[in-house]
Amino acid sequence: MKTIKEINEKIRSGDVVVVTAEEMIGIVEDVGPEKAAEEVDVVTTGTFGAMCSSGVFLNFGHADPPIKMLKIYLNGVECYGGLAAVDTYIGATQPNSDPDIDIDYGGAHVIEDLVAGKEVELVAEGYTTDCYPRKKVRTTITLDDINQAILVNPRNSYQTYNAATNSRDEKIYTYMGTLLPEFGNVNYSGAGQLNPLQNDYNRKTKTYNTIGIGTRIFLGGGIGYIIGEGTQHNPDNAFGTLMVKGDLKQMDRKYLRAATIPNYGSTLFVGVGVPIPVLNAEVAKCCAIRDRDIEVPIIDYGVPRRDRPVVARTNYEELRKGKITIEVEIDGKKVEKTIKTSSVSSYKMSREIAKELKDWILKGEFFLTERVDVLGKGSAKPMKSDVKLVGEILSKPPIVAPIGITIEEASRILIKNNINHLPIVDEFGRLVGIITSWDIARAIAQNKKSIEEIMTRNVITTTVNEPVDVVARKMDKYNISGVPVVDKENKVVGMVTSEDLSKLVGYTNKW
Amino acid sequence: MKKRIYLWVPSENVHKPIISNAILNTKININILKAKIEPQEAFLILELNGDEDKVNEAIEYLSKYGEIEEISKVIKRDEEKCVDCGACITMCPVEAIKMDDDFSVVFDENECIGCKSCVKVCPFKAIEVDDI
Repeated sequence: MKTIKEINEKIRSGDVVVVTAEEMIGIVEDVGPEKAAEEVDVVTTGTFGAMCSSGVFLNFGHADPPIKMLKIYLNGVECYGGLAAVDTYIGATQPNSDPDIDIDYGGAHVIEDLVAGKEVELVAEGYTTDCYPRKKVRTTITLDDINQAILVNPRNSYQTYNAATNSRDEKIYTYMGTLLPEFGNVNYSGAGQLNPLQNDYNRKTKTYNTIGIGTRIFLGGGIGYIIGEGTQHNPDNAFGTLMVKGDLKQMDRKYLRAATIPNYGSTLFVGVGVPIPVLNAEVAKCCAIRDRDIEVPIIDYGVPRRDRPVVARTNYEELRKGKITIEVEIDGKKVEKTIKTSSVSSYKMSREIAKELKDWILKGEFFLTERVDVLGKGSAKPMKSDVKLVGEILSKPPIVAPIGITIEEASRILIKNNINHLPIVDEFGRLVGIITSWDIARAIAQNKKSIEEIMTRNVITTTVNEPVDVVARKMDKYNISGVPVVDKENKVVGMVTSEDLSKLVGYTNKW
Repeated sequence: MKKRIYLWVPSENVHKPIISNAILNTKININILKAKIEPQEAFLILELNGDEDKVNEAIEYLSKYGEIEEISKVIKRDEEKCVDCGACITMCPVEAIKMDDDFSVVFDENECIGCKSCVKVCPFKAIEVDDI
């Protein structure tokens, strides 16, 4: 048994033994956890990845005459104006409000520019009061001009994160990066065996051995503190998170980087390193966790629902090999597929952070703190919100037509049923195409004779279990006004049109 | 060996099957990465695969019918911007981007075909690919 006080004495006297979490694996394997706990005083961890829930509290000081800022923009990125007169919070994922700039410049980029010492434009407007007579202010500032700049990240440093893949037949853009069609790639994030919470996690008690409120850490190249469990903290499932704070003025652009995830938006890559005091054999044992011991679910991001299906379960060691073979379902058939894997966080940087923190401790520049309280149990339950599914707005039986129908017959069906979309099906009722009243008008103008000549073959479809929001987005994206609803065998079970969707918003009781 | 070249063919040679002839005459493996024919000239990007003599023979042959420039470096990385995450790796259709044993992202300039798929996914805009 060691105490943090004793470890700090050793740091002071230069006798401390510090190893990174990677190095600790071999030590525990060689000499066992008891001996390792005697030999090693501190294990350093590190992680470097996209941490969307990041932001900075800023205090600008008072203008003359003073202003109570309400609408606040830094380089065109809106900051939160509901704090006191000259304080604000800028969030990493806030996009800029300038229509001439795309989503590639956001809050994270302002934060990086500040850390880099660049000038940033501050524009703010308020309402006037007796003590704050000024209405507007426009100036340029640098990090040095600001009183306080405190990075406060409500949810950081996930213990584990899901890997992502995509079952759809189209490319999708997610916060886990670009996902290719039909399970074309698997993207994953996380430092695995170097991750702070992972190394401090007691798998039996599902609690953290040493990390808690008040733990001093490496944050963005400066010194920071853990101020509690992060939002969505879920230790029962080894999905813990941290809430951290640190002085932005100490930080280094190397460890705090603005990023743009394509067609998703801006985010901040944050470097977090946590020292784990090896107080006993139990702590040592937990620090010996290896990439292969950490389970990572591969989730299908192609399903735009909260509970996305788990395609397979793997671990960081497998993911880091660059290729993984799993069983997936394509067109209703189960097939073995070898899929390329990409990391979207940096293991190399995670290593550098663990090493940098190790160096700080060895040089006697960084001392450990005793936690003042343990992390809370947290909660990661879903939002209580309604979901309207396609099946709920389907009432009429589907009106479809066989492939051999004439254009005249098709137009009669449209008129008789007062509809604009007619799915065309084969002898088993399976969807093969669709025609609209517009197609018929065009057929007449161009003197086309058969349905097959005018029907659209690549039909965008939906299913009864798809939320109506997803269908609305599909119609907008593909500029269409109706989508056939199909079952697993591609049989048409109904039709959703833009009229059906507008009824959901603008419903009036006609009775 | 593998060599990539730009090839400008003047209008008087555009109708001649010079690529086919280069393959037949030198038994070289040619991959056409880009081909654009305009009234005044044709522009191609070719990848020549074979042993050194054959590649040089093919270049000599092709240069009789057009102007050739060798393409050296297509893919470039801003070392300061790159954090070695690896988001680009799976996007590369020809496996020109790999993660080495130290978890550094490495580019194989000889393999790059200039498709720019990696450029589009890089969260740090750290990759530049010359237009070819």
